[in-house]
Amino acid sequence: MIERLRRDVRALPVIALAVIVYGIVAHASAFGLQVGTYAGIFAIGAIGLSLLLGNSAQISLGQAGFFALGAYAVAWLTTNGGWSFIPAAAVGVVAATVVGLGVGLIALRFAGHYLAMATLAFGLIVYGVFSQLDAFGGVNGITDIPPIDIFGHALSNARAYWFAWLVAGLCAWATWNLLRSRTGRAFAALSGDPLAAEVAGVPVKRYKLLAFAYAGALAGLSGTLYAGYLGLVIPSAMSVQLSIDFLLMAVLGGSGNISGALIGAALVAGLDVAGHTWENWRLVAYGVLVVCVVIFFPGGLAGIYVRRGRSARKAERDVAEASAGAGAHAETPRAHSVSACAPQGESPLRVEHVQKRFGGLVAVHDVSFALEAGRLTSLIGPNGAGKTTLFNAISGVSAPSTGEILIGERSVTGWPAHRVVELGVGRSFQNARLFADLTVLENVVLGAFRLERSAFVADLLALRAARRDEHEALERARATLRDLGLERRAGVYARDLTFGERRRVELARAMVSDPWLLLLDEPAAGLNAAERATLRRDVLALRARGVTMLLIEHDMRLVMSISDRVLVLNFGEMIADGTPETVRNDPAVIAAYLGDERAAGDARDQT
Amino acid sequence: MIVFVLQLVVAGLTVGSAYALVALGYHVILRATRAINFSQGEFVVLGGLVAYTIVHVLHASPWIGLIGATSAGFALGWIYERIVLRPAARNGDIAVIIATIGCVYILLYGHALIWGSLPQPLAPFTGAQGQAIHPGGVAIQEQSLWVFALLALAFVALWLLFDRTTFGKAIRAAAVNPVGAQLVGIDVNAARAASVGIAIALAAFGGTLIGPITLVGGTAGTAIAIKGFVGAVVGGLDSPLGCAVGGLAVGVIEKLLAGWLPYQAVDPVVYALLLLALIVRPQGLFGRKDAVRD
Repeated sequence: MIERLRRDVRALPVIALAVIVYGIVAHASAFGLQVGTYAGIFAIGAIGLSLLLGNSAQISLGQAGFFALGAYAVAWLTTNGGWSFIPAAAVGVVAATVVGLGVGLIALRFAGHYLAMATLAFGLIVYGVFSQLDAFGGVNGITDIPPIDIFGHALSNARAYWFAWLVAGLCAWATWNLLRSRTGRAFAALSGDPLAAEVAGVPVKRYKLLAFAYAGALAGLSGTLYAGYLGLVIPSAMSVQLSIDFLLMAVLGGSGNISGALIGAALVAGLDVAGHTWENWRLVAYGVLVVCVVIFFPGGLAGIYVRRGRSARKAERDVAEASAGAGAHAETPRAHSVSACAPQGESPLRVEHVQKRFGGLVAVHDVSFALEAGRLTSLIGPNGAGKTTLFNAISGVSAPSTGEILIGERSVTGWPAHRVVELGVGRSFQNARLFADLTVLENVVLGAFRLERSAFVADLLALRAARRDEHEALERARATLRDLGLERRAGVYARDLTFGERRRVELARAMVSDPWLLLLDEPAAGLNAAERATLRRDVLALRARGVTMLLIEHDMRLVMSISDRVLVLNFGEMIADGTPETVRNDPAVIAAYLGDERAAGDARDQT
Repeated sequence: MIVFVLQLVVAGLTVGSAYALVALGYHVILRATRAINFSQGEFVVLGGLVAYTIVHVLHASPWIGLIGATSAGFALGWIYERIVLRPAARNGDIAVIIATIGCVYILLYGHALIWGSLPQPLAPFTGAQGQAIHPGGVAIQEQSLWVFALLALAFVALWLLFDRTTFGKAIRAAAVNPVGAQLVGIDVNAARAASVGIAIALAAFGGTLIGPITLVGGTAGTAIAIKGFVGAVVGGLDSPLGCAVGGLAVGVIEKLLAGWLPYQAVDPVVYALLLLALIVRPQGLFGRKDAVRD
């Protein structure tokens, strides 16, 4: 489970209790119920924005736009169309979701301040359109909206309060399910390191879009309840200020936390109503509060009481759990064979006339080779020879300028990395790109992303299919950790690992989905002698299982002793290709690489 | 018809000058701190109000008002960088965006507490309120002429500062490579604070220039901030010339639209222009392509 979700485990029951107690205490007070109902209604939108902001690392200053879509759908359909609340609200939520997808598509092209401004403009456009169109009452809006009607029961006062919080509770529950499923891990991965997430198999763009659509849907839902509860919709209530209010709710409480959004919504809704006569002072105070929170308490108010010590203890308990789990499921059959999607034939991967230019610099110049199935091929060459660039081209991280990459008979040139991964290609990075805020186990489970098939709705509702998928992925990850002797570190956060451990965990992440092709970028760099020996054993074990491997490495002793074949790259050109023995004696290689006094010295130093 | 259009163009260039100064402010802050200051528009309003106080409460000359507001802008910008932007930057880009939005609230509702929420008239630099010349039948307020002249002056001064002085080069070096700049002895923090100071001074300067035409105070800041950003994106956020031209262009487009569309439909169309510009040519007319995704 993602670290900050732990906070929700403790906070959500307390909040649920507070909502119930408040509902009972405020029962007799119309004003008290009103404040509480607004808090519940706005909490729904705040949960969505909190997920967008805290989990997918995208910002929206236009949530009022989605809110307005929901509110106007209910207002117009129930008054002019004579619809009842539920179908009208459904239309509103669908509209907000669809528009959310559209805004998300724009968001994919930008980050940070461009996105903030674009969403701000979006909110203002929606506001402008509604205040312009006479069909929606122009600046006067729509009045006399019938109260929320659930199967013939009109909701007002206490009923409205309980209903608003029931819906908010359902949204919190669904979001909770989502965040602890693979979707939550995908978010944690893509907000930490989008490139590594993509290479682990997470379709980053799809998940960023999903976050926008989800946040839009919840803001829209919020709007539908608002229209039905207030009975009145005017455009000026849905201006920038509302968008900023949503932002305040998410940030003050602590974005990325469901409990944070609920606390933030209660705080802002409470202050909005209670401080009505102090308009300017109240808003200045919001400004001061939000500046202080982002500077001093980036985790929000919900995060202030979380102490580091507690999460460390919990991590230890997780380790115990993981080991226990490992014992209990030791019988789990594990396919020690190459996954079925391995392409048939002599050469599973062919690189044909690949060239990569960066501006005027040619990093890789017309390189062609084909790998043989089940063999271990090493790619060596001095620093700057273009080895990693070639890896990036093969794994879909950055497309070649010209030339083709074929996996089996299929050209994958220009494919995004997560689709290459789906074909059964695993990769590691030179500098071990793990997700620092996830545990070892979670990092490794992410590698199994491409194997998990559960649908979004199943994740949302925690259906059995989703739980079974999750269970299988965890089992796989534990088995892989066992294979690599890492099971005792399962519950440790990646940021607390030693460098050597990080490399092993990255290898585990690349292995967990049983790829038939592994691309390893300098796996031995920075390892001590004992760790190198372990690595050598692991690599040989993988080869014994029939995994085709392409290895970039500077450790010549390792390369020469385990490779079936060695490719030598120099200044972006392939200068030798053969068995370790022939390459070692190749005059071109000796001249370009080993023959140079300093290069030879370097190579010695590294072994 | 032609007179009508020219009239709109003149009005557009006048408000566009304020957008251009806001856009230049974005450019300067972005270059120094890699952040966009969402409260830039509120500093325009604040500058106008400071000038208002100097001119109408202290009864000083409008020129003293201009100098006072601009200097106050620089000082506030320096402090702003120290107590808001720099501490927030430790918690990431999104934290900076949110902190500057928090400052929108502080400034917007804070000045309403001091000066009241109704906009006030500000005396023009020369002549009487609304006094105009009429070349070819097009009325041009004297103040508009001052606006154009002083915008040009500010632009040239900025260019000289950043391209022709060691101080300007130090600021640029600090932005491009902070560690390297520190190694050659540049005080990176001071360079950043000075940049933000200059950007806020530009905003306050702009607010004072157009104050006599648009009134000062009120809630115009948000619209100015977004339209300035539209200008910067249309022209190119990484190009000073692009920011100036883009800002002026947005002003002209806005006023031309206002000539035919109902008043309230104008702003949404201008904002839609931002989305269009972001989709079609995110690097702007004068910008480089690689500057977009930061």
